[in-house]
Amino acid sequence: MADTYQEEILELIWTIEEENDKVDKDVLLKKVDIPDAERHIKALVEESYIIITNKKVQLTKKGRVDARLIIRRHRLAERLLHDVLEVKEDTMDSSACKFEHFLDEEVTASICTLLGHPVSCPHGKAIPSGDCCEKANKEIRPVVMPLTELRSGDEARISYIVTKYHQRLDKLSSMGLVPGVQIRLHQRQPTYVIQMGETQIALDSAIAQSIYVRLV
Amino acid sequence: MSQKAADIYKVALVGNPNVGKSVIFGLLTGKYVTVSNYPGTTVEVSKGICKGLDGSVEIVDTPGANSLIPLSEDERVARDMLLEEYDKHIVQVMDAKNLRRGLLITTQIAEMGLPVVLVLNMWDELLDRGMNIDIVALQKIVNVPVIKAIATHRIGVSALLGAIPSAKVPNLSIDYGILIEEGISKIEKVLTMDARIHKRALAIMLLSRDEALEDNLRNKLTHETLVEIQDIRDDIQKHFSNPLSYVINIKRASFVDKLTKKVSIAHIQKKETHPLIRGVFFYFLVPLVSFLVGYKLMALIMYLISAGFQTSDVFSLAVSLIAGGISASYFSSSVYLKNRKAKLTISEILGSITMHPLAAFPILIIILWIVYKLVGEFGAGTCVDFFENKIFGNSLNPSGGFDIALSIPFIQKSYHVLHVDFQGFNYYLGLLTQKVISKDNIIFELFFNEQSGLIQVGLTYAIAIVFPIVGFFFLAFGIMEDSGYLPRLAVMVDKVFKQIGLNGKAILPMVLGLGCDTMATLTTRILNTKKERIIATLLLALAIPCSAQLGVIAGVLGRISGIYFALYAFIICTQLLFVGYLSSKVLPGDPSDFLMELPPFRMPKLSNIFIKTFYRVHWFLKEAVPLFMIGTLALFIATKLGVLSFVEKMGAPVIKNFLGLPVETTHGFILGFLRRDYGAVSIFDTLQEKGGDAGIDPKQLLVSLVVITLFIPCLANFFVMIKEQGAKNAFLMFAFILPYSILIGGILRIILQQF
Repeated sequence: MADTYQEEILELIWTIEEENDKVDKDVLLKKVDIPDAERHIKALVEESYIIITNKKVQLTKKGRVDARLIIRRHRLAERLLHDVLEVKEDTMDSSACKFEHFLDEEVTASICTLLGHPVSCPHGKAIPSGDCCEKANKEIRPVVMPLTELRSGDEARISYIVTKYHQRLDKLSSMGLVPGVQIRLHQRQPTYVIQMGETQIALDSAIAQSIYVRLV
Repeated sequence: MSQKAADIYKVALVGNPNVGKSVIFGLLTGKYVTVSNYPGTTVEVSKGICKGLDGSVEIVDTPGANSLIPLSEDERVARDMLLEEYDKHIVQVMDAKNLRRGLLITTQIAEMGLPVVLVLNMWDELLDRGMNIDIVALQKIVNVPVIKAIATHRIGVSALLGAIPSAKVPNLSIDYGILIEEGISKIEKVLTMDARIHKRALAIMLLSRDEALEDNLRNKLTHETLVEIQDIRDDIQKHFSNPLSYVINIKRASFVDKLTKKVSIAHIQKKETHPLIRGVFFYFLVPLVSFLVGYKLMALIMYLISAGFQTSDVFSLAVSLIAGGISASYFSSSVYLKNRKAKLTISEILGSITMHPLAAFPILIIILWIVYKLVGEFGAGTCVDFFENKIFGNSLNPSGGFDIALSIPFIQKSYHVLHVDFQGFNYYLGLLTQKVISKDNIIFELFFNEQSGLIQVGLTYAIAIVFPIVGFFFLAFGIMEDSGYLPRLAVMVDKVFKQIGLNGKAILPMVLGLGCDTMATLTTRILNTKKERIIATLLLALAIPCSAQLGVIAGVLGRISGIYFALYAFIICTQLLFVGYLSSKVLPGDPSDFLMELPPFRMPKLSNIFIKTFYRVHWFLKEAVPLFMIGTLALFIATKLGVLSFVEKMGAPVIKNFLGLPVETTHGFILGFLRRDYGAVSIFDTLQEKGGDAGIDPKQLLVSLVVITLFIPCLANFFVMIKEQGAKNAFLMFAFILPYSILIGGILRIILQQF
């Protein structure tokens, strides 16, 4: 397993490659900001994470797998800091650098799931996908989802209603739209229309977003 | 009971929106309330005397409510009526096919301890949908009289009359769980005042944080008691993550669900349309109508762009035919495919098509076109011409009478039947008056002045011009409303309206505004928030031309060229969106949710539509005619005092230099404040005169018509704005619209000069 400094180097190689550049050893040494970089690069070569031919640095298969995981952790951490914790841009960058070294597999997957398997970091670069993303992709749709995720014609049962507006909650429930009720999504455009028993109700996307349903 | 019923109780009609309360009210009292298929139209309570009951029992109609713990103004009106201090029997009207939603209210009435009769209305639609209700079981469980009814066919009314005296308190009680029940009994104990309804109901309302009720109780209970009630509520709330009102509603809903299941009879055969009618619908009507839609739409487009490039008749005919063919094959196949998947009834299919994201727009355009033909061309053209020139005429010149002729369509032949030698009311009245006073006398002028006489202008205008236009418009509006098209239109426009600070609900005042802005301003009451009401009022005054004005404008511009009419429509729509967008950003307040019930698409009953139109026109004449008279009087006085010519002088430089119009048009703009269309006509005449042989300058015409449309609303509308929004807001809107309309006109002129 590569240590912290080695991980930094692998990460840097990945990002330079990403920009479609050949990685030059001198450029790498200039860019990498760690003490005794020469020695770490040597170690990486010895442990066959990378190969250096004519000063050109390339990731080996083993190195690529590790670099990919580091990048994934870093960018997921950025997303977490940016979207959920709302920290400032510069703090985000430096914290994300620390996160990438201590997040383990399981925690990374949980963060990824929490964030809804994002595909790009706040800077717009791709986040390599993990096992959890593949799984989520295969299951297509989660079990309980907002009404807005239904396709027209789908039959579903209301699971719960989440909204910060009491008024909306009261209004929906007094119309009889409460958990347990079966509905059918009649159409999505131009506005959501649902069928509940013999009543057709039109509602806007803000309301539809707050109604969570389970397909039947 | 030897005492007469009248001395004992009143009857209150209660129920969900759109279940037919107003129709039943009409049947019980013989009185007419505007029955509407658009939720939220009854905002005020109507009262009447019930015919057919022993003595004179007063009966009140309430706005539709989904809950008696009010969430909106209309629900509050309905609930407050039940709290009033007199004995009452309730007639709860419900839509039989939506039993569950009706019973939600029944449980609330039971908690109040009020006697009730249940009316299961629209029984025919229930059966049509293959459902049935076990009335006997329902009656047994709830223990109150239950009546089947089809109100629009007067079925069930006499049974209802017979049942009202024996109304009973429903035998329904819901257990809300230990925590809430404890709270209810605690609050019941501190409610020491007298109340007509059970304190349990009051306690439940208070737990649900019914603020209107709390305000009500403020003068009946001490401050300490109210604080105590709050403490009890907060104490219970701690145990729940959801608001108590929601917890209570859920308990109520699950109770009602069980009850509904017990009395519903499992699906029987759904009524099917006769195969022959179905066949005609699918293989004949749909292709035919959709062909016409496509054909007409393309013809309209060709007309609008006709100024852009010259097309031969054969070419446009071919293009229109192709468009018709495409439309016919697309619609027919998609309707047919959809139907094969699910066995939908014809009205269900129509109901979905009219709010289909793609199909609905061409349909909308065609419907607008038909309404325009009916209201704008036939109503505002032919009828107004006849009424104004022939029936009313001129006080000084005879109209020359008119011919009655029988014309046979298609062969272009007409047979002259007779000549009516009628010279017009105003002519005869003028002759009569001249026997007493000379025509130069100021009194004669007060009534017969060509520009501001009370009879020659005020009354003639109200009846000869506005009456036919508004009458035809209300007829068209009634059909849209009763068929259920209007609520579907709300679905269509919701997204756009959200951008201008309104929601789909606001389509009702906006469409009504195309008939009469004055009446439309009154209906802005159905909107949820103050912000929405202000925006809607402003936009109606600014950018929605009423039918009288639109008729003239379309006629005038249409004669010049299609492209100018298209430009006109584009500019007005842009202004509507732009000003709406700005005011939605400037005015404080949150947007409100769009949550609306869509009534089923129905074949409207013509008799109902005629009655409705009659009552609307009646209302209009009663409300608007006096305003027209006052306005005319004001104009007359202003003319005589020289105020008018002063204003004209003041305005002339702006009109001439900024808008680039002849000075004489100033008069037209000022007239526009009184009668919108007359302003347009006057400007058109002036421009034509100035244009001389070269003809009218279309750019000038466009500028002036845009300005007169955006220009300050007519006097009647302005009075209503003051009534609804207060004098301050009305004057602020006035102060915005006046310079804004001229500004837009000026900008338009500068842009047009570049071409």
